[in-house]
Amino acid sequence: MIRVRGLHKYFGPLHVLKGIDLEVEQSEVVVLIGPSGSGKSTLLRCLNFLELAQEGTIALLGRSVDPRKDDLDKVREHVGMVFQHFNLFPHMTALENIAMAPIHVKGRSKGEARTAARELLRRVGLADKEGAYPAQLSGGQQQRVAIARALAMNPDVMLFDEVTSALDPELVGEVLQVMKDLAKSGMTMVVVTHEMGFAREVADRAVMMDDGRIIEEAPPERLFSDPSHERTQRFLSQVL
Amino acid sequence: MIGIWEILQEHFIPFLNATGMTLKLTAVSLVLAMAIGLAVAFLKLSRHGALNWVAHVYIAVIRGTPLIVQLMFLYFGITTIVVLSSFWAGSLALAIHAGAYVAEIFRGAIQSIDKGQMEAARSLGVSHWKAMRLVILPQAFRRAVPPLGNQFIIGLKDSSLVAYLGVAELYGAALSAQAENFMPFETYMVAGLYYLVLVLIFTVLVQRLESRLDKANSGGKRDTRTRIA
Repeated sequence: MIRVRGLHKYFGPLHVLKGIDLEVEQSEVVVLIGPSGSGKSTLLRCLNFLELAQEGTIALLGRSVDPRKDDLDKVREHVGMVFQHFNLFPHMTALENIAMAPIHVKGRSKGEARTAARELLRRVGLADKEGAYPAQLSGGQQQRVAIARALAMNPDVMLFDEVTSALDPELVGEVLQVMKDLAKSGMTMVVVTHEMGFAREVADRAVMMDDGRIIEEAPPERLFSDPSHERTQRFLSQVL
Repeated sequence: MIGIWEILQEHFIPFLNATGMTLKLTAVSLVLAMAIGLAVAFLKLSRHGALNWVAHVYIAVIRGTPLIVQLMFLYFGITTIVVLSSFWAGSLALAIHAGAYVAEIFRGAIQSIDKGQMEAARSLGVSHWKAMRLVILPQAFRRAVPPLGNQFIIGLKDSSLVAYLGVAELYGAALSAQAENFMPFETYMVAGLYYLVLVLIFTVLVQRLESRLDKANSGGKRDTRTRIA
């Protein structure tokens, strides 16, 4: 589904990703963990080309993507992304937020897109909020709308960038539940998170990053109970 | 005081007609200024060096020279090339002038929209310009309303300078009236009153628009008055 080879990313003089190799299979749930500044979010943002890496290749769905030649808008249709700060469009209702891209990118009719959007709102448990503006929703509700918005494009992969970090503690659960349901439905997911409980319960594989490198990857159960790398041990002892 | 009352009575209708011309000048020039301003804002935001430079020079020259000089320059400059009525020459000059300020207002408003908005749209496969049109500009326009309202008030008053091109707008009407009645003090005071009333009406309209947009943007949540009621 995703194959990353030798990815290097620089922000000016800053070397943020130092040769990343990563593979994600169909229907696999991969969590990226590691200290802040280790490059997790940057790697995630490279996967849908919000950031362009200077070296290395990324293949999606078995096809290598060349950012200079390929239409990245077309590529991004296959890769949904959910952000830490939701980034819902404040001037649109929940329903309009979800229906916007299907209408304006895929050329769906308004009626068709709205029907699909309603179904998605039901799926994330917000059927009664279709007319609400983001400012009228709680953080957890906003994030669930944001997940529905990404799903509306029928992506093959979903990327989650610390999607519960900006939430009040009591609202984290409802968002994680939606993500668990999504994982169960067979969605391929790459998740940057500090929620180790979620990682343990849902992820097929945990990938530990530090200083722009992947230093260790294993099924979460094994990585958490028996990390082989000293840096992983230290990190886990701080967050677990 | 009796003089002012006399002037008001004598010139009420002619000044009202001249007010119509002032409003026409203001409306035409400000619609054009919005178009110029939006285009220049995009030039200034563009990463293309030459386009960027054009926008910088335009804004620097317009902001760096007096409006009356720009008016005269354009009127006597352009009428040697194309035949333009003094109304259109005046409107065009006012538009080019206000356009520089409107450009800065739009640029600031566009830049004030959180970067995450563009990223979220792009992550859905929406192209840059579609995201600009559907996501960024609607939010930026709302944010631009208060400074635009301010700029429109300035534009309304700036239109008085077009009198020097021979356009019979409000200040021009006062100019010729006081030459006939020899009561400049009273005449200009009346003209000033007309401007003041226009600006006050406009201020109220902008305030209404602001509170309506604010309600629409937040679904009424941020409007404390409706919440308490």
